[in-house]
Amino acid sequence: MSVFIDRNTRVLVQGITGSEGSFWTKHMRGIGTSVVAGVTPGKEGQQVEGIPVYHTVRRALREHPADAAMLFVPPKFTLDAVFEALDSGIRKIVTIADGIPLQEAVQIRGAALSCGARVIGGNTSGVITPGKAMMGMFPYWIERVYKSGTIGVMTRSGSLTNEITAMIVRGGFGVSTLVGVGGDAVPGTRFVEMLPDFQADPDTEAVVIIGELGGTMEEEVAEAMEEGVFTKPVVAFLAGRTAPEGKRMGHAGAIVSGGKGTVKSKIAALERAGAYVADRPSRIGELLRTALGRGPV
Amino acid sequence: MKLFEYQAKEQFVKAGIPIPEGQVASTVEEAVQVAERIGSPVVVKAQVLQGGRGKAGLIRKANTLEEVRKAAEGIFQAGKGVQKVLVEKAVPFNRELYLAIALEPRDAKALVMASSEGGIEIEQVAAEHPEKIIRYTVDIHRGVLPFHSRSIAFDLGIEGEGARRFAAVLEGLWKVFRTCDAELAEINPLFLTDGNVLVAGDGKLSIDDNSLFRHPEFEPGPESFESPIAYEAYKEGIPYLQFDGDISLMCAGAGLTTTVYDLIHYEGGTVANYLEFGGPNYRKGLRAMELCLANNPRVVLIVSFGTIARADVMAQGIVEAVQKLKPSCPIVACIRGTGEEEAQKILKDAGIEPLSDTEEAVRIAVRYTREFSDAPVKQPVGDPSRSKGATL
Repeated sequence: MSVFIDRNTRVLVQGITGSEGSFWTKHMRGIGTSVVAGVTPGKEGQQVEGIPVYHTVRRALREHPADAAMLFVPPKFTLDAVFEALDSGIRKIVTIADGIPLQEAVQIRGAALSCGARVIGGNTSGVITPGKAMMGMFPYWIERVYKSGTIGVMTRSGSLTNEITAMIVRGGFGVSTLVGVGGDAVPGTRFVEMLPDFQADPDTEAVVIIGELGGTMEEEVAEAMEEGVFTKPVVAFLAGRTAPEGKRMGHAGAIVSGGKGTVKSKIAALERAGAYVADRPSRIGELLRTALGRGPV
Repeated sequence: MKLFEYQAKEQFVKAGIPIPEGQVASTVEEAVQVAERIGSPVVVKAQVLQGGRGKAGLIRKANTLEEVRKAAEGIFQAGKGVQKVLVEKAVPFNRELYLAIALEPRDAKALVMASSEGGIEIEQVAAEHPEKIIRYTVDIHRGVLPFHSRSIAFDLGIEGEGARRFAAVLEGLWKVFRTCDAELAEINPLFLTDGNVLVAGDGKLSIDDNSLFRHPEFEPGPESFESPIAYEAYKEGIPYLQFDGDISLMCAGAGLTTTVYDLIHYEGGTVANYLEFGGPNYRKGLRAMELCLANNPRVVLIVSFGTIARADVMAQGIVEAVQKLKPSCPIVACIRGTGEEEAQKILKDAGIEPLSDTEEAVRIAVRYTREFSDAPVKQPVGDPSRSKGATL
């Protein structure tokens, strides 16, 4: 079993003929993902990596039933593309778009909540179950980063995820499933909403959370731990401990304003709930071993 | 992107929200002329983006034209980078209210907040007495409905004609929030006068950066940035934050750059600037290095672990930048991710030691800021250990 995606998940790629779309479609196939069809308006009849392309999601689904949609669509067209997938009955969507207008992100998440769909992103690398399947963009061929194992990962970041995941592997572990919820202020899916999946996943022993300043997603995880919704060990790394108030540290969601969203308050909440918080990336492996009751490497 | 008060108030006027009579001025003379036209007493307000202007002496009341002159002179001298002041007729008010619209990411809705205790202490009120902030979540499509306005007005103790005027202000603020693609639209204080009239004393409007492409009217100029380098970076589409320390960060990825920023502080170092040249910018090594060097840093620290941002391309850009710009400070490079083997070779061939551990790279960078603090400006590029030998 795995979280969100496995080899049986039939994936439709929207925006498949673009340079990102075609490049990462090749790699999604490379790791073992079942990519069944692609969509680019005006390009029906073409093929990408041998995958047939259709004008619209509906026309693609008529020939190729799919469970999930992977969007390589620019930010200003993402709202439309997400709604096209939802309209066709798809309930699992990943969008990598970096720069979705905030009020449109609110509409996307609102629509997903009201129809029970899960939209992951934007501003994310996506979701990967190493050794099995991925929706998004991960350099899974770098073995010291994307090794299969028993640690679930949830992250708001991209490059930092490569850094932290390399530390998980250095600590003697590997990754069950990694979910990038993305760095935007209004992500389609929040950390806490993925926890039940990791709780139910027999392949996941513990979860690493890669968070940062801004918002309340880390505090929500702490609440879920205190309420007993999530009972597996949690190790967290949070970027922005020393960031000044009022500065937006790169990600749209990474800002402390009005004294809210400080890393300090997140650490306090997580530690109170029993999570282990690493002050630097190199400590992740050691804390995982402690959390899981294993000795030193 | 934050707008200046006078820009926010331009949007308020379009949406029918009453503001005090006034005008923006770029010089002391202009400020006096505005006061002469609208009549004293007036309030002279620095047009800067920082908060806490009142406490910083950047808002001053003036009863006579001579006082206006003094106030304007004082403000133009006091606040660094004050380009404009807003001169407004003073509003005799009875109460100061608070009204704002923001987003509520968890519920995927907008959030209307109001309080009868507006004014400069609102953040303290929110922290210590959250019950004094009235909150309604609002569906982004339906918008504010009459019951929202009615309920909030009653809770604020506004009745009759005042309640009708409050509804118009709230509906106007909603219109501003939506049409400007704002992430925050705030009126604090919202004056309530003896005659039950409402006037926006201040205006804060923050436009969602991701929506700026459809708002050319808000295209920011250099005065919206912390430094000329920050403005240059903005024009290049390179994420950049200005600090005033020793180490210039030229990294990839927001989370990783922020982590490096933290690690430098743990090691006792300081940051000159935060710059990200990952994502769509990974081919801009030369331009990124130029921006970093404009800070005269003691060290340029490059850390990346990219996926789309190919390490080999980044390394090539760095080598070209070093050869062209001939930086006088050491370059510390830790470039990993897609294409990392090739990247290591490129750096090594150019005499830059390729590092592979983030924390080690940070330690080395911080150490260099100390070792080279008194060193002469000219040092051979790329290999600080060699240059140290040469300068001794």
